[in-house]
Parts: sequence; C-alpha cells; structure tokens
Amino acid sequence: MNRQHSPQCQTPQHVLGRRQFLGETLGAVGGLAGVSLLAEPAGAAELSQQGKSVVVIFLDGGISQFESWDPKTDLDTGGPFRAISTSVPGIQVSELLPYTSRHLHRMALIRSISTDLDDHGLAKNIVRAGRQTRTATEYPELGAVVAKGLERPGFPLPGHIRTMVSGVGGRGRDASYLGPGYASVSVGAEAGGIVNNKLPEGLTVEADNRRHDWRRFVNDRHRRRVRSAEIDAYTQTFEQSRRLMERRELFDIAAEPAAVRDAYGHSEFGKQLLLARRLVEQEVPFIEVSHAGWDFHHNNFEFHLHYVADFDRPFAHFLDDLAERGLLSRTLVIVMTEFGRTPKINPGYGRDHYPAAWSIAMAGCGIHHGAVIGKTDAKGIEVTDRKVDHRHLFHTYLRAVGIKSSGDFRIGGRAFPIADPAYGPIEELLV
Amino acid sequence: MTLPRFDEPKAKPEPRFDPRATHTTHDWAHSARLLCCRVDPTGRFVCAGATDHTVQRWEIATGTKVPLAAHTNWVSALGFSPDGATLYSGSYDGRLIAWETAAAAPQPVRTTPAHEGWLRAIALSSDGQWIATAGNDRLVKIWSAATGEKVRELSGHSQHVFCVQFVPGTRELVSGDCLGNIHHWNGEDGKLLRQFEARDTSFLIADIAPFGGILNLAFNRDGSRLTAAGHFKVSNAPAGNRRAVATTFDWKSGERVVRQESVKEERDATLWRAVHHPRGPMLGIIAKELGFWEPESVELFHLLKTPSEMFDFDLHPNGLDLFTAHFDGHLRVHRCAPA
Repeated sequence: MNRQHSPQCQTPQHVLGRRQFLGETLGAVGGLAGVSLLAEPAGAAELSQQGKSVVVIFLDGGISQFESWDPKTDLDTGGPFRAISTSVPGIQVSELLPYTSRHLHRMALIRSISTDLDDHGLAKNIVRAGRQTRTATEYPELGAVVAKGLERPGFPLPGHIRTMVSGVGGRGRDASYLGPGYASVSVGAEAGGIVNNKLPEGLTVEADNRRHDWRRFVNDRHRRRVRSAEIDAYTQTFEQSRRLMERRELFDIAAEPAAVRDAYGHSEFGKQLLLARRLVEQEVPFIEVSHAGWDFHHNNFEFHLHYVADFDRPFAHFLDDLAERGLLSRTLVIVMTEFGRTPKINPGYGRDHYPAAWSIAMAGCGIHHGAVIGKTDAKGIEVTDRKVDHRHLFHTYLRAVGIKSSGDFRIGGRAFPIADPAYGPIEELLV
Repeated sequence: MTLPRFDEPKAKPEPRFDPRATHTTHDWAHSARLLCCRVDPTGRFVCAGATDHTVQRWEIATGTKVPLAAHTNWVSALGFSPDGATLYSGSYDGRLIAWETAAAAPQPVRTTPAHEGWLRAIALSSDGQWIATAGNDRLVKIWSAATGEKVRELSGHSQHVFCVQFVPGTRELVSGDCLGNIHHWNGEDGKLLRQFEARDTSFLIADIAPFGGILNLAFNRDGSRLTAAGHFKVSNAPAGNRRAVATTFDWKSGERVVRQESVKEERDATLWRAVHHPRGPMLGIIAKELGFWEPESVELFHLLKTPSEMFDFDLHPNGLDLFTAHFDGHLRVHRCAPA
C-alpha cells in the first residue's frame, strides 16, 4: 500500500511559520498604499450583536453534482449510484450521502448554477470572490467580506480563519482592498491548532511584555509623524499574534471529550469540522474548512464512493452538533466547490470539469430549509429553471447572515460595492 | 485414379495459432458501454455486461444479439456453468442472476441478493457445483449452483474485493482486494490458508480512497503460476497517471517470480485482466490495446491496437478467437492466426 496526498488541486492554504506569517502580512500590505484600514462597513454595529458565523466547506477540485446533490437516473450520464429519499419528502440526493440525507430539513440545495470558467484557479476565484478578478481590480473573498461585515469591536480572534490539518498560522492574500486585517489566518486541527504558540524557553512573560511595550512606543512615536497602512498592519499582526497565543486552547480539539472527538471521526476532515465548531462557539465570523482532491478525471465513481463517504458522516454530525448546541440558528454553512463534473463519462470512467450546470448545498441560518432552487434537465446537461451564478450566490451568502450585499465599503474615501451591483441574491431562498 | 474436379472446394487448412498475426474479424455494436464479457464453454455464445443494466448475448456464428434485462445497475461480472447451460450475471445492484444461456428470450431463473453494494466478480468451480462471488462488502461468498443457497461466507478482506477465482480442479479459492492483498481460502471450511500481497499496486489517496489493487487473478494451465493484474507507478491518481502491471507468483511457494510492466512506453493504463493462453503466452488488455507476452518475460512481443478502451476480454474454447468488451459499446472479435 502506497500512501499519496492528492496531487491534483492541492489546497491553496500554505503551511507557514510564525515569522513567515508576519512576512506574508507585510507583503500584502505593500500593495495597499493609500488605503485606510480604519474603514467601517455599513451596518457593522447592529450586526455585531448577533454573533453570526459562516462556515464554508470547500470541496476543492469540483465534486460531481451527479454523485451528490443532483443525482440522475439517465443511463448515459447518471452513473451507477442511485438517488435516495431525504428528510424532506420529494427531495432526493445521491445514495452516497445516507447521513446527510437525514438533514435536508436543515438544508437547501441550489441545483441551477451555471458559470463559464472551467479552470480550477479562475473558478475558485469567482466562487470565493463573487466576481471575476480583473487586471486592475482584485476583489476580497467571501471570508474577508464576512469578517469585515460581521466585525465586532474588541473581538479577540481573527475574523477569517481557514482550518487545515496541521497548520501553523499562515495568512492568506484574500482580503484585497479590505486589508490584511481581514485576510484568512490558517490554523491546524492537530498539534493544538497553532504551533510555536508559546514563548520561547528563557523568555519570561515580563520580558516579552517589555519588548512589546518598546515596540508600541516606537510605533506610536513614528505614527505621530507618518501614518501608513504598513505600520497599522504591523501593529495589528503583532497584537493578533499575542491574542492567538493567549487563546491557544481554543484551537486545541484535544480539549474535547473523547466521545465528541469520536463522533466527528478521526479523519482529517472530521477533525477540521470539530475545530470549526469550536470556532463557531467563539463567534468567529468566518471559517473555511477544506476537503481537497475532488478532481476525478479518472475513476470518478470509485473515488466518489470513498470521498463522499469521508465527507458524509462528519458533515452530518457537524450539523447535528451545531443544532444541538443552538448554534445552527446563527450559523450559515455552505458546501462550496468551484464547478461541477461533466455529464459525459470519459473513457477512464471519469468526469471532467463542467461549469455549465452544477450544485451546492447550504444549511443553517437565513435560508428556507428544505428548499431546492432551480433544476437541470434529465441528463444533467443544462439548467432548465432559475439559472444563477457566482454573483447571485455571493449576494445570497451575505444576505443570509444579515450583511447588506447591495451596500458599499467606504475605504479611503472611495466606495467599493460589497458584491456585484448588477446582481442580487436569490430572494426566494432567503428567510 | 480419380483426379479432383477443378471446382471441388479445397479443404481449408486448420488455422495456425500465431498471436503475432492477431487481427480483428468482427465488430458488434451495442448502444451502451460494455464492462465485462465471457464466452460460453461450448463456444456458441458470447455475453457482455453493459452500463444500461443489461446483459447482451451474441450468437457467435451469426452475430445475432439478444438482450437479457433484469438488473437495476451496471452489469459488472459474468460466469458460465462448465456445460455452458447456465449464465450467471452480477451487477452493482448487488444481485446474482442465473439465466438459461440458450433460451430464445432468456429470463431470470434465479435472482439472489448476493452482496451489500457492488458485486464485482463471479467464478465457477470446475465441477460446476459452486459459484463464488466477491463484492464491495469485503466478502467472498460461495453459493450452491443447485439450490442457490449460500454455502459459505469468506470474511477477511478489509476493503472492497475485486476478483475471485477457484484454484483449478479444487474447492480452494483465491481473491484479491483493492489494497493489493490476495487471500487463499479453503472453500470447504472457509479458512484462510495463506496470503500473498502486491501492495505496491494499491495507492491510498489522501488517506481516503484506495486506488488500484488486485483487479484480476488468473492461473496458468498447470496451476503452477498465479498472475495478478493491475497498475502501479501512480503519480496522479485523480488524473489517472499510472502504469499497467502484471505480477506473477509461484503458486507453491508464494514467491513473486515475474513483474511484468506490460507497457514499456510511457502512457496511462491499467491492466484490467491478464490470462495465460493454453498454448503458452499471456494476454492482457491495456487501455485500447491487446498485449501479448511470454510468461517468464518482461517484454511484450505483440500489441494489437483497437478503437476504444477495453475493460474485459475472454478466450473462445477454440484457443484462436478472443472477444473484447469496449467503452464505446462494441464487442470485438479477434483471431490469433493469420488472416
């Protein structure tokens, strides 16, 4: 038996050290000349009281809609898996989702997504940012927008967290003009979440505090003369690192009772979901859990047999756990991917990239439970009802957690539309 | 003395087995992808399992096609009783169905819910009394051909079981799984006698999905060699980057004797099935090509190109003809002799 990481579509999360974390942050700041980090989003004050969270489960590589949310019985395109009933009469999903099928009354399906990019990188960019990056403009991704939109004064944790199996606190470049304060921070589900999270041996707390006092003194003196985004970002990063170190136990899933850990399972995905639940409890605005490797150009059915099983049970338990703890009513869960798979089965019994007609699932707050938006034809080739794309979805996610997606971010005196102003949410899905 | 008349038909010489001269003689089309095929031991019919849930039966002499419809999922495995009278089909619906092979419009004689999940393989004992099946429920099961009752359940594989064969002339079996393990069983008492392994043919992707393993097992004519078909050298599983391979074991010692990297050229392929031809050479299907090699050699001596990927093949009892089941829905007939 040979062990291999999935070589295709590796997660974009980087495994970074603490020093690299600082370096990345500053690198991102370098591109922000003239942008104030003190901008306030519209409506943040009232939203801050609600403690809402968004959890994105990103099935990286492109899960097949046929083998998940939109099963077909067509002999040519449908594949070998049957459709099964769910907890919502009349709604069926693939038989590969027996546990999730019992939670459709907490979920909604969107089966009519049609986009036009079949490259992994570009497709991930548009589903995460709700718009396509242009040469002159990069748009902040959903996590950054939610972190800013649900920002609460004095919140001690990062507002935008990506979980990974064993991570060390890398920071993403996904906040664009919102600034590095809203960029993702990667934390691991193993090894206590963030490594290097204690002071070096020989450095006392008192000595560390004196170091930081000196840094603040020098920064403040400099800021009185020169105000710059770089210094603000430095300061923010140092302070956030200290807050993370002070709260490192929040990221340690080993603190959970064994029965809870067993219920989530001991897969990489199960551990990340358990960490996500702990972060939802802390009211972290945005958490992304990645489940990578779904790019099955070859052997699609054998791989989905195992991969969907790896997803199904921990995901169903995650919804159960959120519901039992009263968290699901303030948490929006999105099972996202970058595109679907082709109706045509290729000669390697694989399915290739297919952005023309695909699906996602959502659960939790702000949406009508048991809803199915749109549909595709019998072969799954075309959307036949309520065609939507990444721009509608982006508005919908934000509206579901109370962010006015038609509003603007005011940054450096300029208005930046929160989402594509030419589009709007899927109104009939929203509560 | 009588001279032959000038127009008297000359007796045709017996075709000479020559795998290097293998050529395609017939091309029979079906409308759905074919997954498996078997020739009945009398040589009258060839049957193929399809993704439209049917078995398709062709009469070899005429090419006449008859559908056998009763499964509810892809038909993945076929087997005949030694006398050819009964066809057994297995499907991803988990069911084993017995059919009267030569009936004008065959109907299921017996339907057995054999496995939870996909049924992957069927084998018949040489006395015809037992049918063995293997499936995704990690089990090998033995059934009575006379009654359809389950005789025994062989439990020990820890993942999907891809293939099963009877040890020639015995009631012992071998089975192979997706982790690269081969189990040797005593069918009489269900005990595991020994294990072989070719675990380097199995790749665990992201600690989630096994890829590869033992896809097919075949004994040589005297039962001294056992060959496992599959792939190795996987560099990118979701993209299908891998190389076809056959691993041959000495049956008595269990030692590996030959590792046949079936295709020397760099290309993505799995060896879905390899068999020992009664006249000596080995045959295997590698993507769109039929490969031929000597059992003790690591070099292919002949490759026959076909128009579409193959997932199974079988030999006619005449030793000259072979039948290939293709992704494009065609069943193709090839003759290992000069045209």
